[in-house]
Amino acid sequence: MKYAVLVFKNLFRSKRRTILTVLSIAVSLFIFSALVSVPTVANQILSDTASSTRIAAHNKAGLAYSIPVAYRQRIVAIPHVEAAMTQSWFGGVYHELYDQFPNFAVDHEQIEKVYSDWAISPESIEQFKKIRTACLVGAETMKRFHLHVGQQIQLKGSIYNFNVTLQIVGVLGGKAPPTFLLFRRDYLEEAAGRPGFVSMIWVKVDKPENVPQVIAAIDEGFANSSAETLSESESAFIGGFMQSYRTIFRMAEILGFIVVLTIGLVAANTAAMSIRERRGEIAVMRSIGFTSRTILSLLLSESLVIGLLGGLLGCGSAFIVLKLFAVGTGSMGPMSSIRMPPLVLAETLIASALIGVFSALGPAVSAARRNIVDALRMVA
Amino acid sequence: MDEKYAIDLEHVVRIYKRDEFEVRALDDVTIQIPAGRFVAIMGPSGSGKTTMLNLIAGIDHATTGRVAVGGEEITGMKERDLASWRARHIGLVFQFYNLIPVLTAFENVELPLLLTRLSKAERRSHVETALRVVNLADRMDHYPRQLSGGQEQRVAIARAIVADPTIIVADEPTGDLDAKSAEEILGLLVDLNRQFHKTIVMVTHDPRAERYVDTVYRLDKGLLVGTEPGRRGAPAEAAATSA
Ligand SMILES: Nc1ncnc2c1ncn2[C@@H]1O[C@H](COP(=O)(O)OP(=O)(O)OP(=O)(O)O)[C@@H](O)[C@H]1O
Ligand SMILES: [Mg+2]
Repeated sequence: MKYAVLVFKNLFRSKRRTILTVLSIAVSLFIFSALVSVPTVANQILSDTASSTRIAAHNKAGLAYSIPVAYRQRIVAIPHVEAAMTQSWFGGVYHELYDQFPNFAVDHEQIEKVYSDWAISPESIEQFKKIRTACLVGAETMKRFHLHVGQQIQLKGSIYNFNVTLQIVGVLGGKAPPTFLLFRRDYLEEAAGRPGFVSMIWVKVDKPENVPQVIAAIDEGFANSSAETLSESESAFIGGFMQSYRTIFRMAEILGFIVVLTIGLVAANTAAMSIRERRGEIAVMRSIGFTSRTILSLLLSESLVIGLLGGLLGCGSAFIVLKLFAVGTGSMGPMSSIRMPPLVLAETLIASALIGVFSALGPAVSAARRNIVDALRMVA
Repeated sequence: MDEKYAIDLEHVVRIYKRDEFEVRALDDVTIQIPAGRFVAIMGPSGSGKTTMLNLIAGIDHATTGRVAVGGEEITGMKERDLASWRARHIGLVFQFYNLIPVLTAFENVELPLLLTRLSKAERRSHVETALRVVNLADRMDHYPRQLSGGQEQRVAIARAIVADPTIIVADEPTGDLDAKSAEEILGLLVDLNRQFHKTIVMVTHDPRAERYVDTVYRLDKGLLVGTEPGRRGAPAEAAATSA
């Protein structure tokens, strides 16, 4: 600890250089930690659904194709199935095209059985069952459009050639996607002239271990029919959506590493310059009796402090910015819920420590080992 | 090797190799300096004075021959051991003071004590004593750039003596100073020698230095070409050691 003063004073030797180095490391780690946080959101969502007992059954030909509503009855009869809820994509637009949020029609009798983890209050459920034009809205969409329970809203049909007028009876919370709007399928059916088809069916199974067995039973049951099904566990279904983001995630990570590497090289250059300037002093300290090892630890501590300061500043501000961003906008769909996980925080600090140590390692080792007489000769 | 000599060089040769050239910086030099002496090494530029000092201070190695300082043979010592040996036995003073610019006078003087087990309070009292000896107790918190050359050199001397070394080694300590400051520094070294019985080896070009020292060794082209008593009046045995 008695060496702390030496480290501290040397950091202040050239305040501007130290500050600039800290800032450049901070900026790079800001970018790094923000970019690396992006994919973790996907992983978070996937791990949330990993032990889910829900199955998504949809048309084998793709999500754009529908399946008969009558499939629901047959699915409910399969052993281990507790409930099943049909879901139809309405694709309505609230005000303008850019004001979109996902909206579906669902079975009002089934929702609390299939989505018990969506924290819908019993009163809301009751209202949803009672009022034919009722709808439930995710917290984020409520906030974004300053909606309140009891309010009437109109969604303009984009796939369907009619509009729906809905009354908000409750808010979706818990693990519900915060942007969703759900209304009743019987309303949609009637308005659409009872086509008898739905986008997909959500199936609730009693235990996670029975999920594969039920999936097989559903798909076998509808094999060779006019609308064959493809059933997936909830995590596989959501993972499929995530798949399209995968490349972007990878790019984000790679970009993050490149930025860090680049700044690492810049920091190495700065460290080399700053140590080179002090060769004479280092030689004097060694002639006094400081060992190479002590000198090396002093030099590395300095640059470790610089790295860690940059790291703290960088991921601290990324943490705050992501937090503000997540609260401020809902327009980015699942992306709006990017938070910095503790793992990324730890990774960033480790990265900053590594930048610190490795940027100075080369010049520090050679300065600490350098022949004292030669180095003294250069100052004299 | 004889215990009674503070410094004992026997047939020391130091050859520097530069590409295909070889420089014999020291050529078969044998010198014995008894403890408690204040001696000067003089000679033209390039004659090997600094080389000899560096060998005595244990920051350079003899190519052949033996070097013993304070009765301890340092010829074959490992770098790590040599570093701690220097910390205990050698106080170095340079021509250009070589203070650490980012440290105050106090902190510069404290440097060698960081290598000891002394407590913070003990270090403080040692540093204060050393700065009092060089008459700079009132400049403790000044940075080197806030001091004159003479004051900087006095801080450097305080740094050299603070860990109570057996030998002080000074390379042209007055080389960069005006006459008045030079006299002060020489006077200070004499005091250290008289009052604290430090053995002092000083390289100098300054003819005035002869008045202050016990013995003058003259080097030329790496050879020891003369040993004469200084005008201060050398004690009897000084003459006996001259080769
Ligand atoms: N590290 C080294 N590498 C190569 N040659 C060296 C080295 N150190 C000293 N020499 C050479 O050894 C000789 C003696 O050098 P030294 O520095 O001991 O002389 P000096 O008497 O101190 O001179 P000055 O009065 O100029 O300081 C010189 O010719 C010098 O060039
Ligand atoms: Mg010299």
